[in-house]
Amino acid sequence: MKTDGPDTSRLPDWTERAKSLLDESAQALDAATLSRLNRARQAALAPRRRAAWLFLPAGLAGACALLLAVGVWHGRRALTTTPAQAPVAASANGNAVNAGDLDMIASGDDMEMMQDVDFYAWLDAQDQDNNG
Amino acid sequence: MTHTIVMRAPAIWNPARVDVESTAERTLDQFLKSVERRALRMAELATGNRDEALDLVQDAMFGFARHYAAKPAADWAPLFYRVLDSRLNDWHRRRHVRSRWLAVWTRNDDDEHDEIAQAPDTNDPGPLLRLAGSEAAHALDAALGNLPLRQRQAFLLRVWEGFDVAATASTMRCSEGSVKTHLSRALAALRRALEDHA
Repeated sequence: MKTDGPDTSRLPDWTERAKSLLDESAQALDAATLSRLNRARQAALAPRRRAAWLFLPAGLAGACALLLAVGVWHGRRALTTTPAQAPVAASANGNAVNAGDLDMIASGDDMEMMQDVDFYAWLDAQDQDNNG
Repeated sequence: MTHTIVMRAPAIWNPARVDVESTAERTLDQFLKSVERRALRMAELATGNRDEALDLVQDAMFGFARHYAAKPAADWAPLFYRVLDSRLNDWHRRRHVRSRWLAVWTRNDDDEHDEIAQAPDTNDPGPLLRLAGSEAAHALDAALGNLPLRQRQAFLLRVWEGFDVAATASTMRCSEGSVKTHLSRALAALRRALEDHA
């Protein structure tokens, strides 16, 4: 940056008097002018205040959208997991047949019977014929 | 049954708990309040009209709040005066163009060209330092009003605002050498004008 030019680092003494006169003139402004300055200042700050207030509804809208998204995600997850959990739910409700099936599966002997289920069906039919 | 007495520390103002937005806005409001009077006087000296000066100051406040409010508060004063200086330059340019057009329309009408109004008021009382308050203020106003815009801005920013040469150059968007030249000429012209009124 060009810095040459007359040396003005030390200002003349009379500029101090000029400075105080200018200060006095600024302090002596009339009430109507000060009121207009105040209105001008408030008007200049108003857009910032409006912008600050806009953050509140924007934040609320964002929070609602987030809640909605979480709700939808949970709903979809529940729908996709319910069929897989249905047998367990049914057995928990005390269904005797299902409980018997579970016992049968848990027992090794019964598993052998399940493998020969056709034989037992035939045997049952023979018994009914003999009884009938 | 035992009672426990809880000694609470006295409530101390904690800056971290203050709403940041409202604090920033309050600080900005206080800053604008601290400069508005001098800004108005500066604009008034440039325009010679209080209404126009008020419009320019309001415009400068809008521009500053929009573009520079996020800057550090320590930099606000030069930035505000930079915006104001820019508005004054724009006003001066528009007025110059308008006066050129008016000069075309009124060039044969010499009677209406008010040179007396442009000249320094020779009825102003004497040198600044030897004048009573109101007279000195009037003489200074007249002398400042007759300075070219750049010289007046250099004087007001350096002398009244107390900016150093670098800050004045940054505010006026010119070199430091230009600031020194403008200021030197302004000081000479003011001294001459005030002594002429003796």
